[in-house]
Amino acid sequence: MAPHAGFDTEHIRDKARKELLHLLEGVRGKKNLVIERSLAGPVGVIVKVSTLHDYGVDKFFFLENNNADTSQRNAIFMARGECARHVQAIADQIKRLQRESQTGHEFHIFWVPRRTLVSDKLLEEAGVLGDVNISELPIYFFPLERDVLSLELDDSFRDLYLFKDTTSAFLMAKALMGIQSKHGLFPRVVGKGDQAKRVAELLTRMRQEILAGNTTDEANKAGLAPSNSIESVVIIDREVDFVTPLLTQLTYEGLIDEVWGIHNNQTDVDLTIVGASPQTSSQSASAAPNPGTASRKRKIQLDSSDKLYEGLRDTNFAIVGTLLNKVARRLQSDYESRHGTKTTAELKDFVKKLPSYQAEHQSLKIHTGLAEEIMKHTRTDRFSRLLEAQQNLAAGADPSSQHDAIEELIARDTPLAEILRLLCIYSCVSGGIKTKDFEHFRRLILEGYGYQHLITLHNLEKLQLFLSRSSPMANMIPMPGAGNATGTKTNYTYLRKQLRLIVDEVNEHDPDDIAYVYSGYAPLSIRLVQCVLQKQYLFSITRGNAVAGTGIVSGSGGQGWRGFDEVVKHARGPAFDDIQKGEDKAIKARALLSGGGDRKTVFVVFVGGITFTEIAALRFIAMKEEARRNIVICATSIISGNKMMEAGIEKSPFVQDDSRPIVFT
Amino acid sequence: MEATNPTAGWERVGDRFYRKTQLYTAVFGQDLDLDHYIVAGAPYGGAVAICRDETRIVTYRPNQSAKPSIDIYSCAGKLLKSIAWDKGSVKGLGWSEDERLLVVSYDGTVRCYYDLQGEFTQFSLGREAEDFGVHSCRFYDHGMVALLTNNALVSVASYDEPRPKPLATSPEGEIHSWAIISPSCTLSRSVEVLLSVGKTIYVVDATDCEDRLLDIGPFTHISASPNGKFAALYAADGKTHVITSDFQDRLSEYDSKSQITPKYLAWCGNDAVVIAWEDEVNLVGPNSAVASFVYEGRVHVISDHDGVRLLTNDVCDFVQKVPDVTDEVFRFGTESPASVLLDAVEQLENQSPKADDNIQLIRSNLVEAVDTCVAAAGHEFNVHWQKQLLKAASFGKSVLDIYNSDDFVDMCETLRVLNAVRYYEIGLPLSYEQYQRLTPEGLIQRLINRHEYLLALKVAGYLRLPADRIYVHWASAKVRTGAEDDSTICRMIVEKLAGKPGISFETIARAAYDEGRGRLATELLNHEPRAGRQVPLLLSMEEDEIALDKAIESGDSDLIFIVLLHLKKKLPLAAFFRVINTRPAATALVESSALLEGDNTLLKDFYYQDDRRIDGAGIFIREALKQPDARTSGDKLALAAKLLSDSRENNFELVALKEAAALLRMQESLHRDLTDSFKGLSVNETLYKLIHLGYSNKAKRIQSEFKVPEKVAWWIRLRALVAKRDWNEIEEIAKSRKSPIGWEPFFNLILQAGNARLAASFIPKCTNLEPGAAITMYEKCGMRVKAAEEAIKAKNADAWMRLLEAAGKNTTEGREIERLGAQVFKK
Repeated sequence: MAPHAGFDTEHIRDKARKELLHLLEGVRGKKNLVIERSLAGPVGVIVKVSTLHDYGVDKFFFLENNNADTSQRNAIFMARGECARHVQAIADQIKRLQRESQTGHEFHIFWVPRRTLVSDKLLEEAGVLGDVNISELPIYFFPLERDVLSLELDDSFRDLYLFKDTTSAFLMAKALMGIQSKHGLFPRVVGKGDQAKRVAELLTRMRQEILAGNTTDEANKAGLAPSNSIESVVIIDREVDFVTPLLTQLTYEGLIDEVWGIHNNQTDVDLTIVGASPQTSSQSASAAPNPGTASRKRKIQLDSSDKLYEGLRDTNFAIVGTLLNKVARRLQSDYESRHGTKTTAELKDFVKKLPSYQAEHQSLKIHTGLAEEIMKHTRTDRFSRLLEAQQNLAAGADPSSQHDAIEELIARDTPLAEILRLLCIYSCVSGGIKTKDFEHFRRLILEGYGYQHLITLHNLEKLQLFLSRSSPMANMIPMPGAGNATGTKTNYTYLRKQLRLIVDEVNEHDPDDIAYVYSGYAPLSIRLVQCVLQKQYLFSITRGNAVAGTGIVSGSGGQGWRGFDEVVKHARGPAFDDIQKGEDKAIKARALLSGGGDRKTVFVVFVGGITFTEIAALRFIAMKEEARRNIVICATSIISGNKMMEAGIEKSPFVQDDSRPIVFT
Repeated sequence: MEATNPTAGWERVGDRFYRKTQLYTAVFGQDLDLDHYIVAGAPYGGAVAICRDETRIVTYRPNQSAKPSIDIYSCAGKLLKSIAWDKGSVKGLGWSEDERLLVVSYDGTVRCYYDLQGEFTQFSLGREAEDFGVHSCRFYDHGMVALLTNNALVSVASYDEPRPKPLATSPEGEIHSWAIISPSCTLSRSVEVLLSVGKTIYVVDATDCEDRLLDIGPFTHISASPNGKFAALYAADGKTHVITSDFQDRLSEYDSKSQITPKYLAWCGNDAVVIAWEDEVNLVGPNSAVASFVYEGRVHVISDHDGVRLLTNDVCDFVQKVPDVTDEVFRFGTESPASVLLDAVEQLENQSPKADDNIQLIRSNLVEAVDTCVAAAGHEFNVHWQKQLLKAASFGKSVLDIYNSDDFVDMCETLRVLNAVRYYEIGLPLSYEQYQRLTPEGLIQRLINRHEYLLALKVAGYLRLPADRIYVHWASAKVRTGAEDDSTICRMIVEKLAGKPGISFETIARAAYDEGRGRLATELLNHEPRAGRQVPLLLSMEEDEIALDKAIESGDSDLIFIVLLHLKKKLPLAAFFRVINTRPAATALVESSALLEGDNTLLKDFYYQDDRRIDGAGIFIREALKQPDARTSGDKLALAAKLLSDSRENNFELVALKEAAALLRMQESLHRDLTDSFKGLSVNETLYKLIHLGYSNKAKRIQSEFKVPEKVAWWIRLRALVAKRDWNEIEEIAKSRKSPIGWEPFFNLILQAGNARLAASFIPKCTNLEPGAAITMYEKCGMRVKAAEEAIKAKNADAWMRLLEAAGKNTTEGREIERLGAQVFKK
């Protein structure tokens, strides 16, 4: 692998860190940092709190809390420039600070990732534009892992599909453009879905604008020729496959996300489960200055710096116990080895390894605690009923056989999000629910969880997640063989068979197919990626080798959707396959220079969010393809079924009588 | 004449040589008395601005206009622009690094002339400056500091976004002189100001004011070296001190023995200080070595990065330290390889065999010699010697087997450019080092500002640089000044610029618009390929709808927002909705931002006019949720229902709303009767709470009122009773014959609650169990004997054995189990 040409997410992290620290350095003296809540976590991924302290940051405040004090002369605000509300909040706080304090203050705003015209205009209208120093902090991607880049736009799902606000897609295109300008054009852009198409179109447009723009920039020049270190980019719109994230994730990491929720590689877990942190709490990498809530919970860092976790995260939860057991035994024997030490040299050797043993021991303790708690959760009657119903629906069982189960779960006051996920799976898989049943379920939801969920249900309809068969949006379900070429809706019944979404025998210990992540269901979204990247394999499992031997094989050598065009038509949204060419001379020169790179990078982009199970499945593919390709996953955010439901759920109930306003953050 | 000795202008200062190069002659006319003018020169051989010094009295000349003006000349004395000045006395005149002229008036008004054509932006230094007045100003690369008459200091760090900021409070007392150190040279990255007050120097930056505790003042002049490391101080007693800028080490001291205060104290590079009186210039090097130059008439000193320009009426000279490479080649008596190589080429021209001898002599150092000759050529102003040096290099490299000629080629190109711009008609006397700092792009910008488009294009083409900015600037100027009619100009521009990459038609169109040629602007804008770029201009041209379309086309939501903000402010609401309704992308943004900001009024209107009733009702429901009491909530729900009542499609929602209102009323009456709050609970939750509190009848009523399905109701009852541990009531229920949810839930929940006895009593009632299930159920209750009975019934020998082992053979339980199974499983 050519070291200079290869793509490495570490570069992105380094660059982001350097830029942030450079800006902080530019503000002289001690400073208070007022940060937008949704940015605090992502920034924690890039730089540690202790480093920020080294760079003169004294106190942290959340912008939303509106509690920044006047203790330092310098106040730095850090927020996303796209969001008009934050501009207003910042303007208000600046005015408040100016009022409250006698001494003069220096105000700085760092806009992430860019300074917008709107923010300038609003600041001007608020009359504070002249009092602030404004800088841009162009961080688009936050590298969560070596192979995962996320924009960490928590609301991207809601914005894209409920509000139809395409800012996230625009930012994704900008972010990808950043990669292109550094590493060259993606030679091939393959994708599926409306928003994916939008991203691809924006990429073309931005490329043309760069062509039209001034070419003085050295970086831009590079962006005009196709890259020789990148093979292609595969863009998948979440809308193509809503069912996958709605299903309960069954990998270890997925279940941690389902039970506690993972935000920016961290999760908050009750102290009783994992025990107190061995170090002082300042170790926690988050910028959360929240002493009230932090006391009972502990933040757990979940990333590849924890070697044990790295091995566990993507495995099916069924085998996590066994794996933990194995590690525990090995650790034990490692400890025991000290009895066998004879010479002082051996003893010294042992002592040298001791810290690593202790770290591992600590991590083992945490994960045993987590696994036990998850086990408790999965053993409950309610969980198994839910999972059973989900899997039956996904496998194409007659949905009406699940009515009783659904009704029972509602009567048992199962959390609303879980129930809605089930109903949405029902609706998506079977192309809407019969009108009578639809009304019935709606009644049950309203009676069970409150009438405010009229709004929730309407939102889900808008999202096309929960529909009646009679609704105008549902009757566009393409039937196999029907005329409509580009699907307006994903036809699971057809695709289940064509892409073999249901795999009955799953070997959880030594998985041979991505279906292991859902214990038998292969995520459609990832199957689509396989349509592009693993044609041979997919042919072999869907049609059997015999059929693959005939005619269709000619497609296997092809690229893009070739060989699966027909199948792909049955998923929602347009499919596309564009080739970006530069000047031929340039290609040749570059290919010559690099000696035809052997292992190229493929970017798999999820617009609208990706789940941990899908990441696990992609890593599984990456492992199989290791010799040929390097897969990097990009997403607007990490999502789960619950987060999808959050987008639609109306959160406030009727105000309680004691009229204590319920504050939702 | 060609062969003037290259060392002709050299002067020895200590162990170093300095050279004075005559750049231009006959600079200013003789009738311009430089004595009466303030002179400021832009860095990197840039333009010179002069304006009358008002402290001097001039003889009245009737034929000269009395109107005050600021004149901009090139270094060769060509008048570039004369700017009329009407803001009173000039308190600061200076240049930024990118050749923007800054003029500061007494009241703190700063004008920034960004091209050399008189166009300017203006800003104020703030209230304090207005109140007290500006005393004087100092300028650095891209910012300035002003000293007010009350000793306050105001700094401006950028002219693009000028933000006057007061520095730390400076000490009281008369400030004899002052200087600044550019932020790029200080540790704090903030500008530092050196003030001479009393006998000492104060250093002031953004936060601190520090006394440097000197006792050799007061100083009439202070100057900081270009790299910010040293400061030169001229004391009133005629002594010059050079001190490190942190004031720790005094480096040297020089006594000029002059009674007259000099006019200038400036640095020449980083090693020597120039002191200039009326017509005499002293160059003071390290260890107080001195060289002096005497001129006819008044001398002005313009300090540059690597030397100083001396300006008199007659000449413009450049004084700099002789660059090391030049020194190496030309120094008298030197035998460096480069000088030998230079000699060799002379011999070659004379066809003397000595040329070869020379080459053989320096064979081992030939590469170094060639490199030195190339570098020295760059530092040479004289074309003859440039050629000679390059010839030498060329000859040298022809002897070498392998040599990377990149530097040689670059140098040839650079020299060609430098010579072109040094030509007196252009008047940019750039030294090689200045050119490196200015960059070729910077040079082109300077040429553009002087409207030297042809030369700029030639240079850009020659150096393979993009020419778009040149074209755009040309076109903009054309649009501003061209007398032809709009369509001719447009055609002319488009013809000239068609097919050229990177042309920003937006910039040209803006120039046209600013000039008041709206139609031309529109025509030009159509040629702009970048949709996003067009938006702001379209907005200011009031082409709002086109702007909105272009913004949507660009996909950048920021642009869409800015247009929407503008439109919303400008248009009445109905018209605003009409504009966005046909554009889904805009509609989505308006709707989502209103939702997030909770702008219900806008949303109601919006949904109403778009006939989106369910969405509209949603707003009322949200409002209902926030009402403090049931009555007002009910009113809001009624409003929502009214919205939906027109259409039969929304029947379900209508019923739900009615029920919601009914529930609220019922909850309120429950609240009155039972003094316990129910508000905010759903139907199911209300049921649960009632049963939990023991009001089963009321619960029944609600169940029937809201038609809660039997199964659901049973589940709720079961859960509530178990939570309450009301075992009697459950036993009561158990008496009924059938349960719609079966009896297993009873068993499970009761067992979970810990009442194994009661749970077990439900096992017989469970029908439809899988075979053998009963065994585990009894086992879970801890009733092994019963389980064993079931096992026997099911003829399950394994289960029986397992139970027996679990119980242990010697316990009473074990014996009982053994007894029971003994007959059946006996083999």
